[in-house]
Amino acid sequence: MRKADEQGFREFAAANAASLRRTAYLFCGDWHTAEDLMQSSLMKMYIAWKRIKDLDNLIAYARKVLLRTWLDEKRRPWRRAEQRDGELPDAADATVDPDTTSAKLWARELVHTALLQVPPRQRAVLVLRYFEDLSVAEVAVAMGCTEGTVKSQTARGLATLRAIVEKLDSSSGRVAS
Amino acid sequence: MSEQEIREGMLLAVWDEPPLDFDPDTLIKRVEQKKSRRRALVGVGVATAMIAVVSFALPGLLPRGNDGQLASDNPTSSSAPPSEPVEKKAQRLGDKLAEKLDLKMPNLKDVYAHFEAGVYAYQPSSPTTPPRRANDPELSGFVYLTDDIGPTSLQVVLTKNRSIEEYICVSATTCRDVPQKDGSSVMEAEFVEGQEITRSVTLRKFPSGYYAQISSYNANPATGSGLRQMVPVRVDVLTALVTDPDVRWE
Repeated sequence: MRKADEQGFREFAAANAASLRRTAYLFCGDWHTAEDLMQSSLMKMYIAWKRIKDLDNLIAYARKVLLRTWLDEKRRPWRRAEQRDGELPDAADATVDPDTTSAKLWARELVHTALLQVPPRQRAVLVLRYFEDLSVAEVAVAMGCTEGTVKSQTARGLATLRAIVEKLDSSSGRVAS
Repeated sequence: MSEQEIREGMLLAVWDEPPLDFDPDTLIKRVEQKKSRRRALVGVGVATAMIAVVSFALPGLLPRGNDGQLASDNPTSSSAPPSEPVEKKAQRLGDKLAEKLDLKMPNLKDVYAHFEAGVYAYQPSSPTTPPRRANDPELSGFVYLTDDIGPTSLQVVLTKNRSIEEYICVSATTCRDVPQKDGSSVMEAEFVEGQEITRSVTLRKFPSGYYAQISSYNANPATGSGLRQMVPVRVDVLTALVTDPDVRWE
């Protein structure tokens, strides 16, 4: 690869690595796996960089690669076998406002428990629509499906997520808004 | 739960993200290493496939002789001569031994030989052919002859089985080992009962591991009958036969 192309990739990767890792985290719910997914996606992009470097929307392409990498990874047998059943609690931080902390913990629970129970493709649609703030058309491009499919998957995903959150709230005593 | 709440919830979920330790140069280095490893692997695979194809195709591409052996343009003197079929060898040895015996003992009549390939000498009168055994000689048979007393035969064995050497002198009246100039050695044994020689044996041992043995009995070994007082052929004649340069045993 030419030095100029390599430099272009270097700049793109450095600018978008964090954003891609966040999206990957919402897909998989684990920061380590998210980092692996981000790195694998960028490696794939580096190999194809000569061909893709002139694309209009490189970050959309990167999201598409990330999504494919995650879905492929989920199909692997050793990933299917892995079942995480808990996480060590973080140490309490006395300097933080308790209300803010409570909201953040609830959000974490929303992701860890509720979002991870939504089927993968519906989850991907929700993350791309509400976290990445993409339009239906952009999500359709990223998912490689029609806009109609995106809409139906969004509706189903929202319904599933709401049902799970309601269930979680009722079991924890919190009232869903 | 509204869409806005979901949006905020997702943003809050990544609030405590761990610090990102990402270096594009390290990633590029890893990709390049992977690429070179893949290239090496493909190279090894292609080379292995080519070797396999050539090893299978080469015997088919080389010219072959009529007998299916690979032909060679320049046969060297060091290469081993083509091996003679054992049936042909049996025929050749039998004819030659009969011819030589006839020359050495002109008083004999109807001298002829019959050798079998790969079967231990057995009596032709046997109703069935005995089964093959592991220690069967390469060939064996009888040189038939008729002397003043009547028809009888000499037993001939050509083998690579070393045990033939162990028993030749057992219970022999006389037994001696005579080294030959060509590196082979000859063992002569005679068995005497009373005043008569009942058995004469000559065994020639070749450096190649071959043993050629000719035995003369006071009975016809081919039939088990025809008992007589003395062997029809003495050990000196047997030794002359087994060491005759015209008889190519090997």
